Formats: sequence, C-alpha cells, structure tokens
Amino acid sequence: MPSHDAVVVGGGLSGLTAGLALAESGADVALLAKGMAASHWVHGGIDIADSGQASSSAAAAAALASLPGHPYAVLADDLPAAVAEALRRLADAGLPYRGGLDAPLEWIPTAIGGLRRAAILPDGQATVLDPWEADEGLLLVGVERYRDFWAGYAARNLAAAEWPGGPARVHAAVVELPGLARLRNLTPLVIARLFDDPVWRRSAWPLIRQAVPAGRWRIGVPAVLGLDRHAEVLAEAVRELGPVFEMPSLPPSVPGIRLHDALRRRFEASGGRLEIGFGVTGVERSAGAVAALETAAAGRPRRVAAGVFVLATGGLAGGGLRGLPGGKLEETVFGLPVSSPSADRWFSGEPLGDGVELERAGIRVNADLRPLDTAGRVVLDNVLVVGSELSGMRYLSERCGDGVALASGHRAGRLIGVGQRATATTTTTTTTRRTAS
Amino acid sequence: MPDVDVVVIGGGATGAGVLRDLAMRGLRAVLVERADFGSGTSGRYHGLLHSGARYVVHDPESARDCARENAVIRRIAPACLELTGGYFVATPDDPLDYAERFVPACAAAGVEVDEVSPAALLDAEPLLNRRIWRAFSVADASLEPWELIDANLASARAHGAEAWRYTRLTRIVTGEDGAVAGVELEAGRTGERRTIACSAVVNAAGAWAGQVAALAGARLGMRPGKGAMLVMNRRLTSAVVNRLAPAGDGDILVPVHTVSILGTTDVEVADPDDVRVTDEEVRALLADGDRLVPGLSGSRVVRAYAGCRPLYDEADVDAAHESREISRAHHVVDHGQRDGIRGLWSIVGGKLTTYRLMAEQTVDAVAGALGVAAACRTADEVLPGSEEGRSYWLGERLAALEAEGGGDADLVCECEIITSGQLQAELDAHPDSTLDDLRRATRLGMGPCQGAFCTCRAAALLSDRQGMGLNGSATPDPNAALLAFLAERVRGTRAIAWGDQLAELWLEAGVYRGTLAVDTIGAAGNGSQDGAPSHAEP
Repeated sequence: MPSHDAVVVGGGLSGLTAGLALAESGADVALLAKGMAASHWVHGGIDIADSGQASSSAAAAAALASLPGHPYAVLADDLPAAVAEALRRLADAGLPYRGGLDAPLEWIPTAIGGLRRAAILPDGQATVLDPWEADEGLLLVGVERYRDFWAGYAARNLAAAEWPGGPARVHAAVVELPGLARLRNLTPLVIARLFDDPVWRRSAWPLIRQAVPAGRWRIGVPAVLGLDRHAEVLAEAVRELGPVFEMPSLPPSVPGIRLHDALRRRFEASGGRLEIGFGVTGVERSAGAVAALETAAAGRPRRVAAGVFVLATGGLAGGGLRGLPGGKLEETVFGLPVSSPSADRWFSGEPLGDGVELERAGIRVNADLRPLDTAGRVVLDNVLVVGSELSGMRYLSERCGDGVALASGHRAGRLIGVGQRATATTTTTTTTRRTAS
Repeated sequence: MPDVDVVVIGGGATGAGVLRDLAMRGLRAVLVERADFGSGTSGRYHGLLHSGARYVVHDPESARDCARENAVIRRIAPACLELTGGYFVATPDDPLDYAERFVPACAAAGVEVDEVSPAALLDAEPLLNRRIWRAFSVADASLEPWELIDANLASARAHGAEAWRYTRLTRIVTGEDGAVAGVELEAGRTGERRTIACSAVVNAAGAWAGQVAALAGARLGMRPGKGAMLVMNRRLTSAVVNRLAPAGDGDILVPVHTVSILGTTDVEVADPDDVRVTDEEVRALLADGDRLVPGLSGSRVVRAYAGCRPLYDEADVDAAHESREISRAHHVVDHGQRDGIRGLWSIVGGKLTTYRLMAEQTVDAVAGALGVAAACRTADEVLPGSEEGRSYWLGERLAALEAEGGGDADLVCECEIITSGQLQAELDAHPDSTLDDLRRATRLGMGPCQGAFCTCRAAALLSDRQGMGLNGSATPDPNAALLAFLAERVRGTRAIAWGDQLAELWLEAGVYRGTLAVDTIGAAGNGSQDGAPSHAEP
C-alpha cells in the first residue's frame, strides 16, 4: 500500500506547480491525474491578470487582490516567487519564457484577428511582444490544408483593428508545405511533428520564404514549430525567416502541450511520482481528515494514502466541478461545499462576454487553502485546494487563471513543507466510493 | 394590372408548398419570408414524418391526412427522408387499455400498423426499456425540413415563381371595395421598401398568421403551442420511437442525422416568438425520455430548443382547452366570406407532414376564386433532387466524400461532414447568407460539438469571400455572423448546462475568449456594410 507525504490530485498547471514545490523540497509526493488536464486547450502563455488598464500583470493582480473573496486576496504575496520559480523551471526544462510580473502588458494578435494583452509568453510566441518599428509589417502565413489558422480573415480584422502601437501594415499568405496532401486529420500536432524532422523542414523553409513580400516583416505562423525539438526548430526558423512567432488557435494546442510536458518532466526529474490515467474513485476519511484515496488501477481499486492532499482538479473545465441538472454544482473528489452564484445568474449577459457569473463558482478556502463550508469552518483539515477549483475569480474576464494556479500551487508547497510523513492511521475509517465521471 | 396574381406570406413548409402549387397551376406568384426560409416552426420541430398513428384515437381526421401524405412525400421527396421506420411502444407507465383502442382506430383511419414482439423490438433497439410490454411498427420517417422547403421553392421557381427571404410584410393593401389590392414590403437587411400589386394574398405564416391577418384588419384565433425538444449527442435508436399512450411530454424520440431529438412539450404561449425552453420543460422531457430509454437523462444533451405549433381555435370560444387538445387538423379560412376582405386566405393548423395537402386545399380555393381551373399536380410530380428516388442514409455524406477521393482537408464541419465546397456552392447561390442561414442549408454546427470547431472556419470562409468581392451587398459582416452564431449556440445550451456539456462549454469559452479573444473582433470590425456588428439578440 503506497503511502506518501503528499498526494496531488490533478495534473494541470496548479497541480504540477504544487507537486514540483513539494518534490523539490524533498517531500515524497505522488500526483494522480485523470488525463492531460486542459493542456490541449490553452494558449501556452502565462496569464497573471489583466484589468484592461493596468500597465503590468503585477499592477492588475494587485487590483484583483483588493476584491473580497478573490484568490489573490490570499495569494498576492506568493505571486512573485511563484512566477519566478515557474520561469526558472521552464527554462531548466528547455522551454524558456520571456517576460514577467512587472513586464508591460502588450497587445498581441490572435489567430482570428482579435487582440489580447500578454506579458509572459514562451520564446516561440514572445517575439510578438517587441515594439513594432515604424516600417515594420505583420505577415500572417497560413498553411494550405490546415483549417484552423485563418490568415486572411485575421489579417482583415487586424488591419481594421484599433491596435495601439501596432504594425504599419498587415498582410496574409498561405503556403503549401510538402507532404501534407496525403495526410488526414491535419492537426497542429501532426504538422509540429513534421517540423521536428530536420530533413523535412529543410524543404519547408524556402516555401515559406517565397511567401514573404519585399519589405520589413515580422511573421506570425500557426503554433506548429516542432513538438519535442521545438527549441531547435525555433532557432532555425529565426535564422531562415527572420523574426517569427507562433499564434495558437483551436485545440489541440501545441504550446499548451509543450508547457505540460516540460512541467511533467521537471516533476519526475525532481523525484515526484506521476500517475496519469488515474481518476479518484473513492475517499477514505478519518476524523475530519482524509486518510487515503482510492483510484481505479487495472482490474482493482488501489489505495493511496498520504498525510496531506492537494486538490487541483481544475474547476468546470477540468472536471473538478460538475454541473448537475437543476443548476447545482458538485465537487467531484471529496464532495466539498461549492460556492456558486444562483443558477439564474450563471449566464446573465453576453454568453462570451463579461457577464458569465458562473466563472466565480468554486471552493472557498482560508489563508491556508483549507476548504470552508458556508459558515466559514474548515471542512477537511488535511486537504488544500489550488488552481481553477478556487472560488471568487473570473479567470476569463480577469485573465488570472494561470497566475492563481502558480501562486496557489506555490503556497500549497510552502504550507505543507518538508517531512510531513504520513502517519498511516489504522483506526476506524469510512470509505465513500464515487462513480468515476 | 397586378404585378403578380398571388403573394404568399411565410417561407415555411406550407408557404413553400402553396407557392409551388400556385406556380404549377400557372398562377404568377411570389413568396415573402421575414427571416430565412424554414426559420420558424418548420425548422424548429422534431424532424418526424408522421405515420398518422399518433393521432388515431383523438384526432382521426389528422391521422387520415398524415397517413395519405406520408405516402405522397415518400413518392415525391425521398431525398428529404431517412426511412427509419418507427414504433409505438407501451412502457409500464402507459395505460393498459390504450392498445385496445389504438389498433381499431388505426384500421379505421387507414394507418398501417404491425404488432412486433417486445423481444424483436429489443433486438432492433437494444437501448429501449426492457420492460416495454407491447409494440407496433409504423411508417414513421425522419424528415429534413430545410431540404423539403428548398426543393419546393426550387420547383416553384422552375415554374416561374419567386421567393424572397429577409423580406417583411408591412401592410396588406385593400381597395375601396374591401378586396386585396397588394402588399407593402420591407427588405430586412437593406430597409428598401416596395409595393407589389396582386389579386390575392395567402397567409401561410403559421403561428404568426394572427399577426399577418391583423395587417389586413382581420382577426384569427391563433393559439400558438410551444413545443420544446432536446438534442441528444448521438443516435439512441435507429427508428423513431413513440409512446403508446395519449400524447404527453417527452413521448417521441427521433433519430435525425447524427443525433436524436427528444420531444415534445406543449405549452400555450401568447407570442409565437417566445421559444425559450424552461427548466421545467427540460425536466419533464428527460423524465419521460427515461421511460423510453432508461438512463437517457444521464447521457449528454447538447441543445434545447422549441418551436411554436400553428394551432387554430376554430370555434374561437372554448379558451379553457389545453392546447394539446385543440385540433391539429388544418383549416383554410376565406377572409372574403368571414371578414369581407376578398382575396385574402389564411391557412392555419396542420403539421409538417400534411404541408402539401394544406397547400393543395388552399390553392383550390384561391385558384377557383381567380377563375383558374387547372388541377393540383403536386402529389404527382417528383420534387427536384429526388428524381433518382433514393432516400437519405446516415453514411451518405461520408460516402460522397470518399467517392471524391476522401481526405478531410476540405471539411469545415466534421460532425455533419460539410465541405467548404458545399458552403461555397450555397454562398454562390445565396451570397447574403449568415452562418445561421448556412446552418439551415447544410446542418453546419448541428452535430454533437454544436459548432465548436466549424464556426470560425465558416466565418473565415465568409471573410475570404468578402475579401474577393464575392459577397452580396447585403451580406452580414463575418464577425457579426460569427458572434451571433456562437451566441445562439451557447444560448441553446443554457437550459441543459450540466455534466459533460457544461464542461465542454467551459473549455470552448476558454479557447474562444482566452486564446482567440473573439470578444474583441466585433469592436475591430472589418469594413462591414452593416455598420457596427450586432453581437446577438438579447
């Protein structure tokens, strides 16, 4: 029967951050993940906060920290160290990022020609953060047969957009890359794997170069510049094409997968034990605390005991919260009390705008990240809640999801500390099985 | 000298059928529709071509009409049908004696039914309730309304008629003698006004017929009955399944292309545009759906929607009636006789299955009054697209794609297998289409993912055409089209926002806002002819 200092449930940004903090401090930590988290769906940058006005992520996060019930109200102090450590780990993993908490939030173009602000991007996307020179144009280069990068549409939108400090002109081109005609289900992953092949890409660069008109251009391409050999591909792309940056689009997101892979590798290199494909099927409780979890291993349930548990299951998108008919939400592992606006206000306002109150739903916690009930009492002593599972933030409107994940994961690691070795209790326990969802 | 003989109001199945019938009898006719063809009740129903058995006990007249027209549509419009067949099944919650009334009533109404053993039924439909104790097979089918409407309009055009969408009727003009003299119209997208002189007007506006009649000063006792339906994320049965019981909520399950539709509630509403689905309706539908397919309520619902039945209270007196008990049979109202407005007819009531018969009886009245003796031929002449006599089957689009050499680079919508070539052809024919118009024409965004992937691709296609100058002057801005389409798809999931569907909605929101920032493209605009793109209706 495995017993650990700590068990993290959930393998997204918050769970991996908590797991890394614990593993790096020498704790025996296991991470149970149902799948690949939301890695395929995210853009791969790190969004700390954006109020639309603040000049930097730090300023925007400070504004959010003054909102009652916002996770940053508790986490603000952890943010600088959390971001610094995340950037260090990613650089160590060979996936360096540029920018930081105090870097200016810059307008960057999206694959459909929208604009959003960003301050921390992987090197593959970061060139877009550089100031636009007076004679510099933006060239969007799409790939024939790849359906989810809309160079012409995006260029027309961007040409008409109010883009403060943006490029002098926007132009679109589509190139035919070798070998794609035979392929089916042409996702960004497929193209990224082709770019990993040095022989293939030697034939690709001239074709892309031919699409570049005369003049000075910065080139936006689909986010497909290599998967396992991304750094090598990116360096070569800059040599061959000049300033170039990736623009993420519909899933699967290659930058998101790279981010997830890099953190997973660091976690395992730090001695953490990673178990992917293991959803929690039961909980063994003992006197106001959790003694062990049950996971669905091959053929039979497996008991995983620990002194402390970190819940990093990712809210509604990650499966940590589940909606029930009739406007109720349940927390899917421990059945924790969920704080949520009433169902009639979930979707008030524009469905894709700022009016989606349901964003605020989640688990209310105290400063020690312990889950609280409606009366403010701690529900489970040895459970810490991190990431998008937390209540009170609006990670889409406030663009704070990644920052909350990093800061809460960091804080969980700090709170748990070293050497909380599990005191495997053999006293009376009750196990509740949950239906795997 | 009038511009045309007859103006038809309403581009649903009935209006399209009336237009075709008028044109085939040699009358000059034009149809006007305030929105897209088939965007009202015809496009918001469950997709069932009735065998008639649903009505045999309570409304034998409707049952007889359905049975006859079912056979006619199979003959003239097979391409619009998937011949799924259907069953009437008795669950343990259904009355013991209904079958005893059902079988003789079917015989009396000319509706063919065959009893099948529960064991044989479960062999064919293994997800159905194992406790079903009696079952009959009937000639139900799955009917694609937009193809049927398009085919009728194409036939009408071939016979010289015209049909204009996004054209609103603002006034019915009458002369000093009280007779219809013309109509005043306003183009919805340009605001352009025009007057058409005509000898007759056919009001085929269905649930909105009362509003149209009021434009001529006549009163029609319409009792719009809202019916809510749920789209399940896959086909739960391969045949239509009906409850062997008097009509109730959640009593029909229809396989439609890649999904199943569970219907329908019946709630009388004051305004036929009020098609919001309530939580109570969703609960009622799922509870009854579980009686047909146990566990259905636990499977994924991808959308909820509703349409309004054009029910007509002929007596206009007994307001205490539940709307389900108002006759489904149709009525041709001659406003010349009833209200002194000569040349105005309304066709009300009925159902999609009987659209052609309704059109025939209406045109009989109109043609007679206009002194045209030609007989109706709409039951004899096969509709365009159905000449080969083949009906639709689920693998048809995939087979067509494979026949072209396969490959999916050209696919815009994986769920419904729609290629960019199909969208381009539709846009060539109707350059002013919105994404919602394309949805009705091709089923864009109607599969299990409900537009998560295809919406941007289709909007990009609209934008590319705009860039090449291929769009009409009234074409909506691609950004406005994208945002309106996304908003409508999201709106359709509100009443069923739980479980995997809510999780998917959340993931989608993350991509659309987090990665693409689509909420900023409206403001950016892109040379829209419409001015500021509207995000969506409230």
